[in-house]
Amino acid sequence: MRNTLKVAKWEIKRNMKNKSFIISLFLTPALMLFFFFMPSIFGDSDKEDTEATNVFVNDELNVFSSLQETVEQSGLNWEMQPTDLTESEIKDKIDSSENTAYIFLNDKALANGVIPVYTSEDIDSLFTSEVNVLTAPIRSLQMEQLNLSDEQLTAISKGLKFKATTADDSAVSDGKSGADQETEEDSMRRIVPGIFAGIILIMIVLTGMNIFQSASQEKKDKIAEIILSSLTPAELMQGKILGYFVLGLTQGIVLLVVALPVAIWKTDIPIFEYLLVPQTILLVAVAILGYLLFASIFVGIGATLSDITTAGNFQGMLLMLPFLPFIFIGPVLNDPSGFLAQLGSYIPFTSPGVLLLRLSMLDEWPWIEIVIALVILIVSVWLCMKLAGKIFKTGILMYGKNASPKEIWKWIRA
Amino acid sequence: MKTVLSVEQLGKSFKDKQIIKNISFDVRKGEIMVILGPNGAGKSTTIRNIMGIMYPDEGTITFQNHENIPRHKIGYLPEERGLYKNVKVMDILLYLAELKDYPLKKAKERALAYLKKFDLEGKENVSIEELSKGMGQKVQFIASIIHEPELLILDEPFSGLDPVSQELFKNEIRNLAENGTAILLSSHQMNLVEEMCDRLFMIHRGQKIIYGNMDDVKTQYANFKCTIRGKNDHVELERIPNVQRVEQDNDTSILYLSKDVQATNWLKNLPDSLVVQELSIDRISLHEIFIDIATDKNLLQEEGVAHA
Repeated sequence: MRNTLKVAKWEIKRNMKNKSFIISLFLTPALMLFFFFMPSIFGDSDKEDTEATNVFVNDELNVFSSLQETVEQSGLNWEMQPTDLTESEIKDKIDSSENTAYIFLNDKALANGVIPVYTSEDIDSLFTSEVNVLTAPIRSLQMEQLNLSDEQLTAISKGLKFKATTADDSAVSDGKSGADQETEEDSMRRIVPGIFAGIILIMIVLTGMNIFQSASQEKKDKIAEIILSSLTPAELMQGKILGYFVLGLTQGIVLLVVALPVAIWKTDIPIFEYLLVPQTILLVAVAILGYLLFASIFVGIGATLSDITTAGNFQGMLLMLPFLPFIFIGPVLNDPSGFLAQLGSYIPFTSPGVLLLRLSMLDEWPWIEIVIALVILIVSVWLCMKLAGKIFKTGILMYGKNASPKEIWKWIRA
Repeated sequence: MKTVLSVEQLGKSFKDKQIIKNISFDVRKGEIMVILGPNGAGKSTTIRNIMGIMYPDEGTITFQNHENIPRHKIGYLPEERGLYKNVKVMDILLYLAELKDYPLKKAKERALAYLKKFDLEGKENVSIEELSKGMGQKVQFIASIIHEPELLILDEPFSGLDPVSQELFKNEIRNLAENGTAILLSSHQMNLVEEMCDRLFMIHRGQKIIYGNMDDVKTQYANFKCTIRGKNDHVELERIPNVQRVEQDNDTSILYLSKDVQATNWLKNLPDSLVVQELSIDRISLHEIFIDIATDKNLLQEEGVAHA
């Protein structure tokens, strides 16, 4: 165990002193934040660039102020001005202006229910839909003129809509109408720990890929035999797994330290409150198990290769294993308790990813499934560690050539 | 002298092929013991079994009467060797010392002293990848002795070194032996180790050929040989008494004489018909014995592919 720690310490120190590791340590969160906020950065700049639309209102009904209020409330980018020009007069004027509209409000229009709007050729493409917000104040004016009582007014202005209720829902729907807001909060409550664990999983698996590099480098640099004269192959392997785990965690923490404040600042979700729940522990445990599984596979393959560029089909396929859960993302999002989602949680290579995704989405955790999946995962981790140990022991000392699957099979049986 | 390491009846096979068989020897405190053999004879396999990097199929290895070899008391320079590329010299030396549980402060002092000794002063903060191959090998050598091992195992320590560095290594190894370190080294360069080793174990095709004290081996195996330049008949030469074997290459013949021959007497009895342009008589060097053995000249002629 002491030797394992020494190796782990060494791997950490070696990487921490490596410039490229340090750069990627901070570049990863920077890149992620950049891609996360890119749409809003460009979206914002778009808005600032556009000029306000000039809207002139020939108001014979005295509703200008209420119209202005409505426009302001809906946040439209309009410059509103009253005007005395008549319909016939504006024809010339509108030809020579840009991004301008004239609205004519008079009794005739109100009676017809059609309000004439003249726009210049060049006008904000959204204007025709934006102008519809004005219907509400004009409508209320219309109704006021009909001399209806307040009660009648509300009844009419409410409008009509159909509400469908199935037999299933009707049982629970009582008293649930106000709970819409709550379920949304609830789902965030589950999603936040899920995202947290997911980030940890991705970070340590990505860093875990370096284990592969490290093991194969050990072989290429031919230092393995010198190291193995001081400790056992198992200690070396465990040290590497532990070392890269800490490195991956460091990467995760750096990411969180950078991303969390930004996320809290940009969104209104009380992230800390949601994060500090017992569920997080299970989710993080799943992430760690996932790491151990892939780390042992990587360290094993790394020991069979002296150079990543010479990786054969067999090794290449194993290297793709961590990306297998992506196949299940679609089906799981569709139906988190469906057959494929369950299948995904029982296949060891996909189960960490699928479990995290499912547990973040499901209201009620299917404990039996979780326990079965965890048992499968733990057993496979144990098995993979054993196999990796055997492969590592022989592979790391085999120089000059890559091991074939046949040879690897022999080492496993030995 | 105290025996530090003893190897008994060691045997190891890969698949159905026996790589080494019945290897027995011991290494004593303060002596230099050499395992000699051509490429593929089984030297590295023997050493790897001692180091616990491989496990022998049969036989025992004991270190000062311990079955389990205390790794921190052994220094090892493997045949296939290298160092992490992108780390500093001092960092790796300290890491390797730490793995051997050697106190870091002392390790640092020793590392600096040895770097100076090996003309690498001021290189402690240089990255390994900037060193030449020979410099790298010196660093590896320092790494193997930094923790003051009681037993030092060097697998082909001289391969790839220039003569100056070879001399430097030889002196240092001798030094260590004089200070009480038991040294086991393997080589296929007989001429290099001839003057420095105390005892030798010659191995070929995984089996013992010669084992013993250097001087004994010399008297036992280093017979006289006579080199004659001149056109002579092979058969006629073989008829000369005390000639074991004749090698002919154009006009040059080498006559290998039997063990207890008296040089002067033998010369007197040479036939008059012999054509002699030049004649010299000297002892066979260990180097020649080694070549002889390696090329199967006076061994049992075994059929099969040589372990090249």
